[in-house]
Amino acid sequence: MANKKQSGFGKWASSRKGQQVIICAAFAIIPLLLLLVFTYIPFGEMVKFSFYKMKYTTPVEKREFVGLANYIDVFTRKDCFGALKLSLYYIVGALVQLVLALFLATLLSFRVKGGNLFKGFIFFPYLISGIAVGFIFKFFFTRGFVFDSILQLCGFSLDNLPYWLKDQSVNNWTLVSTSVWRYLGQMMVLFIGAIMSVDAELYEAAELDGANKFQQFRYIILPSIKTIVTLNVILAITGSLSAFEQPFVITTGANGTGTYFIIMNKIAHTSQKVGLASAMAVVLLLIILICAALQKLFFEYIFKDSSSDDESYKAKKLRKKQERDTKKYMKQMAVSAKGGK
Amino acid sequence: MKTKRIACIAMAGLMAASLAGCGSGDDKADATTKAATEAATEAAGSDSADDTTADAEGIKSYADIQLGTDFTDLSAEIKFYNNRTDMDSDDYGGKNWKQYLEDFNKEYPNIKVDVITDTNYADDALTHLQSGNYETVMCIPAVDMADLSTYFMSFGDYDTMSSLVNYSNRWLYQGQVYGVPLAATTQGIVYNKKVFADAGVTDVPKTPEEFIAALKAIKDKNPDCIPLYTNYAAGWTMGAWDDYISITATGDATYKNQKLAHTKDPFKNYGDDTHAYAVYKILYDAVSQGLTEDDYSTTDWESCKGMINNGEIGCMVLGSWAYPQMEAGGPNADDIGYIPFPISVNGKQYASSGADYCYGINVNASDDEKQAALVFVKWMTEKSGYAYNEDSLAIVPGSESKISFDGVDFVADEAALEGEEDYLNQLNSESELNVSNGGNDKIQAIIEHAANGDMSFDDIMAEWNQKWSDAQESLGIEVTEK
Repeated sequence: MANKKQSGFGKWASSRKGQQVIICAAFAIIPLLLLLVFTYIPFGEMVKFSFYKMKYTTPVEKREFVGLANYIDVFTRKDCFGALKLSLYYIVGALVQLVLALFLATLLSFRVKGGNLFKGFIFFPYLISGIAVGFIFKFFFTRGFVFDSILQLCGFSLDNLPYWLKDQSVNNWTLVSTSVWRYLGQMMVLFIGAIMSVDAELYEAAELDGANKFQQFRYIILPSIKTIVTLNVILAITGSLSAFEQPFVITTGANGTGTYFIIMNKIAHTSQKVGLASAMAVVLLLIILICAALQKLFFEYIFKDSSSDDESYKAKKLRKKQERDTKKYMKQMAVSAKGGK
Repeated sequence: MKTKRIACIAMAGLMAASLAGCGSGDDKADATTKAATEAATEAAGSDSADDTTADAEGIKSYADIQLGTDFTDLSAEIKFYNNRTDMDSDDYGGKNWKQYLEDFNKEYPNIKVDVITDTNYADDALTHLQSGNYETVMCIPAVDMADLSTYFMSFGDYDTMSSLVNYSNRWLYQGQVYGVPLAATTQGIVYNKKVFADAGVTDVPKTPEEFIAALKAIKDKNPDCIPLYTNYAAGWTMGAWDDYISITATGDATYKNQKLAHTKDPFKNYGDDTHAYAVYKILYDAVSQGLTEDDYSTTDWESCKGMINNGEIGCMVLGSWAYPQMEAGGPNADDIGYIPFPISVNGKQYASSGADYCYGINVNASDDEKQAALVFVKWMTEKSGYAYNEDSLAIVPGSESKISFDGVDFVADEAALEGEEDYLNQLNSESELNVSNGGNDKIQAIIEHAANGDMSFDDIMAEWNQKWSDAQESLGIEVTEK
């Protein structure tokens, strides 16, 4: 028996299909191992931490098991969940960023004088380290410094200008704008890449049919790049929910700019409530998963017409209904034929 | 089918991996109970050289080492991890690490010390400890007293060490001293003598009212000068205000480590311009009366040194370690001075002094490394001149120091009572007020509320009192002080 099994495996391993599977597995095992060690195992540990009351240096046996108490705290404390409200600012900023990026990408995908130069300028901020960007903007927004001087040149008087980082009604928008400045280029470049893959003949055909530029954009470009748009929206929303770098470097999260991540960082590292912070992280993950699922449904609805090349959504629905009806009818016939016998 | 099999194996692997965590936990439990019983037997009192260290025989303790004669041929390689990144560069204004090590190696040529510095020291040091793979000598970060013996070796018992080293009670647990200070600082105010003199302030302010009046005088004389610069944006400069609420504000050496944890509503108004209420009220009043910088959200730590040196800033509330830095910030070193904090308890001012970072020796290092580390720490403390060069208070009893206040005593905080060592840490963590533990955001909130006028000072203090009381209740700490 054993021999037969072995020879069976050996035979399979030396066959073409077997070899393919073995090579795939061999190549995949190293990155999977790294993923396991550096992402999934630490994540598992963090989920474990979220059920305990502990500090970083608490030896394992002194950690106190508290069950769901940390999760209840996350929802009842006014600073944890309240910080998510600030993410709304960043989401609005992300949507503005999306629209701007699409617009600029469409413009720059076609022959524009100095197009490459513009692409370079807009993409450049993404290459600078986030911390350096934070420092630049800290001085940019200081009273009487760069931004105020530019506005004064445009004719505003210093007394009418708000304190960009001190005034709690504008400081979040200030931070959102630095984030948009930084990531606009990256989004735009992704869109340019996607738009370039659209077949040029389609534009000619559309022009012959009398479509203007906006109609071309809406009916040709947008459906063709829908995967990239979906991806960028998911990235943008995830990024907004977990905004950390800009507020941390520019204002250390003080003065009403403390986003969810910053509060989590303070709780974990200053107050050393590692269990509570881990619970916050898990809750954020669940929120992001829910958002991603909602987005998928939303985009499936928006792009329902473009999931197939030959038929529209309505036609597809009609066809499917007809198929189901025929199946039902066949079944009934079979049953009555059997019953009849 | 195949994917199911792979998923099964992966699951089993994950679960086996998490079991591994349990195993090491038991070993750690054994190690800590072992160290605890050894510490207990030592504390029970015996003065043979063996028992003063938690380890095997053969290591000469701190007290017994004769510098210059013992161990001059000891060969070892040790690592020293600390936060003084400025002393790593050749441009440092004083003696830097390279020069100290050259002097050290003249007497001990075979002990090689590798100095590693880090700007984000406070957080990274804790990470190093948690990994289990940390340097031979490091500056003890914010660990719980009860965990000290897990990570660090004892230098000896308190009676022996206190005669050799001041402030040895900083890391004192169950009668054993785990940390020897690199430097000690006092808490006061660094100020520009010229700015104060020009405004007509001749006497050192002794009460909050005198201080606010002095700041007002500066503002009236020169509207462009910032009387009190808060350094709000840097964060840690705000948490520094917490260091003034114990000895400086109460005159009581036992307040911080013994009384504060048991006090009911420690932030309430005592009515006599003392205690924490008076300290924070100075900040609130200064901000609400416009005696601080215009835009607190964009203060800059590095440029403030030049500004105070040039007379653009009147004063800043910082520890004595800031004094040499402000002197070095510009050409007017003589204009910089240091005065005690303006709170008088029964007519007398007190200056709280305490250890800065302390040397801690890795308890898991080899015997040779531990011996070399002890020699290095003793040499740095007694012979290197580090404390004097860094404008510290005297570490070795009787040695010289560059800082002195007239008529004000330097008092160190007493250690906590046995069994209560971690109360303050636990209360800080539970209440999230983090007094003297990086609690910058609560002080930043004082400035925000004072500038916006949306919350009165009494309401802020009432909120803190509530958090403190809730934490005392949930930790089961007795409230015995009023």
